[in-house]
Amino acid sequence: MSCQRLKNWIEDRYDLDGLRGFAKHKLIPVHRYEVLYYTGGLAMFLFIIQFITGMVLSFYYIPYFEQAHKSIIEIVTKLNMGWFFRSLHHWGAQLSIGVLFIHVFSTLLLKSYRKPRELLWITGFILLGISIFFGLSGYFLLWDERAFAAVRVATGGAGNLPVIGGFIKSFLRGGIDVTGETLTRFYAFHVSVLPILTLILIGIHLALVQYHGMSVPVSEEKNVKKYVPFFPNVLYKDFIIWLVALGVVVTLSVLMPPEIGKKADPLAAPPENIKPEWYFLFLFQTLKLFPGDLMGLNGEMIAIILISLGILFFFLIPFFDRKSARGERSPVFTWIGIIYTAYFIRHDHYRVFDLGER
Amino acid sequence: MLRSKTIYKNILQCLCCSYKSIKTLIFSLIMLSLGAIPLLAQEKNIEVFPSAPYDRFIIYQALVLFWIGIIGLIVIIRMKLREIERIQDMGIDKEEKDIPFLD
Repeated sequence: MSCQRLKNWIEDRYDLDGLRGFAKHKLIPVHRYEVLYYTGGLAMFLFIIQFITGMVLSFYYIPYFEQAHKSIIEIVTKLNMGWFFRSLHHWGAQLSIGVLFIHVFSTLLLKSYRKPRELLWITGFILLGISIFFGLSGYFLLWDERAFAAVRVATGGAGNLPVIGGFIKSFLRGGIDVTGETLTRFYAFHVSVLPILTLILIGIHLALVQYHGMSVPVSEEKNVKKYVPFFPNVLYKDFIIWLVALGVVVTLSVLMPPEIGKKADPLAAPPENIKPEWYFLFLFQTLKLFPGDLMGLNGEMIAIILISLGILFFFLIPFFDRKSARGERSPVFTWIGIIYTAYFIRHDHYRVFDLGER
Repeated sequence: MLRSKTIYKNILQCLCCSYKSIKTLIFSLIMLSLGAIPLLAQEKNIEVFPSAPYDRFIIYQALVLFWIGIIGLIVIIRMKLREIERIQDMGIDKEEKDIPFLD
């Protein structure tokens, strides 16, 4: 069947002109901060890389604690291009979480969450949380001593939450301690629960973006120079950014393939100088600020409660920022956004050059 | 007969002279072996990247070719985008309404 005949066959059945018209009809405002619009598309592209490389790796990975570590070594050392797919998956994860953080912080600073886009913020925020859990669960699948210690700390920290902490801890671990059961659970989360939730939330997020259109910052509402159609202008620029991102991921994968540590031993002491992944460092450093005992109370529990309150406030920011909802400037929330961003960067910047270690 | 005796004597002499150096050599070898035992017990780093020079060369070459391909594609997309923007600026991309049909 020739290309034209195939096109005719599809056009007879589906309204392609309608779709093309819809894409052309969607207009994107051009202003000083328009470059930040591309972070969402870039995050989605990196997610696609993660899905593809993850599917390839899952053909060979064995989610059983006695064979998990060995199966990864075999993927890296025996399979043709196995090292490359694992490295792509690792660097794709690092970059996608990094881009998601940029997307969330730019949304926060430009107040794109303001009325009527509160649901967009909520779905995006949940997606960020899911991505972080993707990172933690994927990290644990290595079943090496550092991943083991990191998961023990992370799940133990969640266990310090009052009332529901114990339930969360035992639900995540599948028992009282981190064991082979935890590996099976994390594998199930990583390859089935989280991908399905991600696809549903990305679908809702994209539908809401189509429904509301692109948000223009309050300060730029009068400075919008013009509107350009999404198709083909913005989509072509997206393609350029995606190609550069693909090049960066491939280059990092080749030049800095992640190491594989020693196999985890549940009875051994945790290794020295253990540090979590860079996106958990702000939590890790905050926990270290608190002493073990604070005025007769458990210091770690107080730290976890304060961190949870901080994250909850971050999550509900669209409902607190009433000025932005009215279309007015709200410098207080700009400063809150700057403080959140600075606090995150302050604790994570020094690990940027240390990522190839994993 | 005399010749073979001389050779045998010479060999013996040589061995006696180098006895001290051979002793030193054997002692050094034993000490070196003892020093290397912990290295045998150490776990080897897992190779996460092909170690053969030829494989490495092919991989780096492929990376360079990959980047040339990406830059080429970016140039083509950029050219196409400029052409689209030029047509949009001229305003000839919009379909005219009430255009007469040509039979």
